[in-house]
Amino acid sequence: MQTTSETVRDSAGIPHHDLLLRLDGITKEFPGVRALSNVSFDLHRGEVHAVCGENGAGKSTLMKIISGVYQPTSGTIVYKGEQRHFASPLESESVGIAIIHQELNLIPHLSVAENIYLAREPRRGLFVDRKKLRADAKRCLDRLGIEIDPATPVRTLSVAQSQMVEIAKALSLDAEVLIMDEPTSSLTEQETGILFKVIRDLKASGVGVIYISHRLDEMAEIVDRVTVLRDGQYVATDDFADTTVDAIVAKMVGRSLEEKFPERTSVPSQDILFSAAGLNRAGRFTDVSFTLKRGEILGFAGLMGAGRTEVARAIFGADPLDTGTITLHGETLTIRSPRDAIAAGLAYLSEDRKAQGLAVKMPVDANMTLANMEEVSNRFGFIDFAKHARVANEYVDLLNIRTPSIKQPVRLLSGGNQQKIIIGKWLFRKPKVMFFDEPTRGIDVGAKFAIYQIMDELAAQGIGVVLISSELPEILGMTDRVAVFHAGRITGILDTRSTDQEEIMRYASGYGPTAH
Amino acid sequence: MSDVSEQKGRRLSDRQKDIIQKFAALGSLFVLVLVFSMTSSAFFTVNNGMTIALQVTSIALLGIGATCVIITGGIDLSVGSVLALAGVVAAIAVKEWGMPVPIGMFIGILTGSLCGWINGILVTKMRLPPFIATLGMMLIARGVALQITGARAVSGLGEAFGELGNGSLFRIVNIGEDGFPTVVFPGIPYPVILMVVIAIAVSLMLNRSVLGRHIYAVGSNADAARLSGVNVGRVVSFTYVLSGTLAGLTGCVLMSRLVTAQPNEGVMYELDAIASAVIGGTSLIGGVGTISGTGIGAFVIGILRNGLNMNGVSAFTQQIIIGLVILGTVWIDQLRNRR
Repeated sequence: MQTTSETVRDSAGIPHHDLLLRLDGITKEFPGVRALSNVSFDLHRGEVHAVCGENGAGKSTLMKIISGVYQPTSGTIVYKGEQRHFASPLESESVGIAIIHQELNLIPHLSVAENIYLAREPRRGLFVDRKKLRADAKRCLDRLGIEIDPATPVRTLSVAQSQMVEIAKALSLDAEVLIMDEPTSSLTEQETGILFKVIRDLKASGVGVIYISHRLDEMAEIVDRVTVLRDGQYVATDDFADTTVDAIVAKMVGRSLEEKFPERTSVPSQDILFSAAGLNRAGRFTDVSFTLKRGEILGFAGLMGAGRTEVARAIFGADPLDTGTITLHGETLTIRSPRDAIAAGLAYLSEDRKAQGLAVKMPVDANMTLANMEEVSNRFGFIDFAKHARVANEYVDLLNIRTPSIKQPVRLLSGGNQQKIIIGKWLFRKPKVMFFDEPTRGIDVGAKFAIYQIMDELAAQGIGVVLISSELPEILGMTDRVAVFHAGRITGILDTRSTDQEEIMRYASGYGPTAH
Repeated sequence: MSDVSEQKGRRLSDRQKDIIQKFAALGSLFVLVLVFSMTSSAFFTVNNGMTIALQVTSIALLGIGATCVIITGGIDLSVGSVLALAGVVAAIAVKEWGMPVPIGMFIGILTGSLCGWINGILVTKMRLPPFIATLGMMLIARGVALQITGARAVSGLGEAFGELGNGSLFRIVNIGEDGFPTVVFPGIPYPVILMVVIAIAVSLMLNRSVLGRHIYAVGSNADAARLSGVNVGRVVSFTYVLSGTLAGLTGCVLMSRLVTAQPNEGVMYELDAIASAVIGGTSLIGGVGTISGTGIGAFVIGILRNGLNMNGVSAFTQQIIIGLVILGTVWIDQLRNRR
């Protein structure tokens, strides 16, 4: 280990004494892939430095190198003036570099407090000092302004709450560098607000934050500088104040992206394709009714836990439905399992890709055909491999999925490509009604746009599309009408063209229409 | 340019590495054969080859069932007991109820299927963890086998009962001038033929059929499979029925070889079956495994036993060596998957 005592200079060449972390000429090669090529990056104390790029641009690889999960093939890491090699995440953590992963790494059966202090529980002799454990955890959570009982088991928390616990855990490590990978992707606006306040506090106390997000719009609130990566290459680092979201996006995709949403080509017809009436499930949702026209995109808006996903899952037969009727083409459907729903022509793109959408150990082609095996097999139940490969290739091309081959295990693909595989799986079923549950969460701008286009094309073909989304711009940009959920009920179904974010938020908070 | 060719080279070597590791088990099998051939002259002979194949059949048949169950993320601890119960039932059907041998054995095999079916119900409908469900079945099946026989071996089954286990195909015997027969070719034992046929059939089922695809999908991600319309319960149940049926078949073959039904037969066989699957690369987490791998695993165990026996290694030392082999192969597998 070699100590550099010379004046440290940042990327602009200006002497900077607050330099916390500096990476120079980082290259990382995997067998057959060069994930990063000669990337440089630096971070100051009290700064929020965003790293942007499409999926596969190398953001995650770079963060894994900083946190010691990967070792760079070449290049140097200088942390607090000393050249470092982090052989493991434990090593980087011990010197104050903490990472909050996109996939949450909490242990569901342990309590919030136990998770925060996992493997470093306060002790009294041989035993865990439970009182101190709870008190310390409470202090951590209070600092974040979240009201979760530290004794709550993590498995009962929502995704957003779990994320807050992860952040609390990182803070409790006295981190000097905090890496946040898509921290707001599953947070509501209010929760995002709390998180940003916390980040501002961290900045004030001299912590350097590396912030990875696809939500460029919200970056203005906290980000100081932004570094853009593309295809594993360093593109640029700018002061956020001197640049625009459009300029960043242009650098990310290497072309200018005029619109965030494609122009809607589809026009909903007047005949009702699908309807749900009086749906109930005890403790989850009450008296939910809506209709879906042929070629319409209907939005489900609402806060986390308002019952949107629960309604979709119950319609799809994934969860039981207590009462209510579901009709398609005017015929009442009896759905007891996802099999029934799929046979009737429904498709559901689940909220959690890895847990519910993909068989990650299996290759692209097997995932693509999983919901429609009868179409690629003979009457004896044996697979027609020629047809199987043809279908897989067809949808890989149609959806522009980037994969070395259809035999690639899907866990090795980026989030956007994984999502497209699930979409491909459902398109191959030729569904009549398709539910998209948070289809663009954690997906880069380019892939988002592609998914919006697919939704529009489906609608244009006369398919009924339901878009469940926590991102209001997405709801406003893509839907024809929007059903707003609050506490398990639909509080209003609004015409998208004549509504705005404020009105939707009012319904979502349960206030209903205001007298004008 | 050099960059591209370098990358290409790496990709190739990566694939080669995969193939090499895939054949690592097969390679160690060859090494075993080589070593034992050198240390014992009687090892590498047609006769001994057939003996090994015959000995391996029971591990392999049980291993094939175990592989399917493990791919779905389950485990079947009951097969050792189920095979004893099935063999005993077959013997009783022949001896007490006076049934022809094929029918008696068919009833024995069905007994195995029934046990597997119950395992399937316990796991899918009553939602018991597979370990517990099949542990219960292991005790119950053994208990029933002991109960109905009064813990005594059922013997005097007649020559026909021994045909399946002791007969062979293409056996060539010359009657010499002195009137004594000399065995030119010992023939391929029926159990070995059975093993090969079933291995090929199950392998085809796993790799080429929709059912096989569903088995892998359930093991890889049961939630995703269910949301894709896979009847997860039925798929999982099927693997337990298959495992039970193969255990029933193994029971009949084993009892036929002895021409006696032993209610104490097959103790700890489930562990051999699981070990052969694991040596062959089946992942206990589910989603990964092949029949060819399990076949190799079964032969590794069988050849080790046979070769060590011939070299006069004690049964205790054999256990230690096989234990080490299991640990070693799984460790290598872990290294491969870590990357």
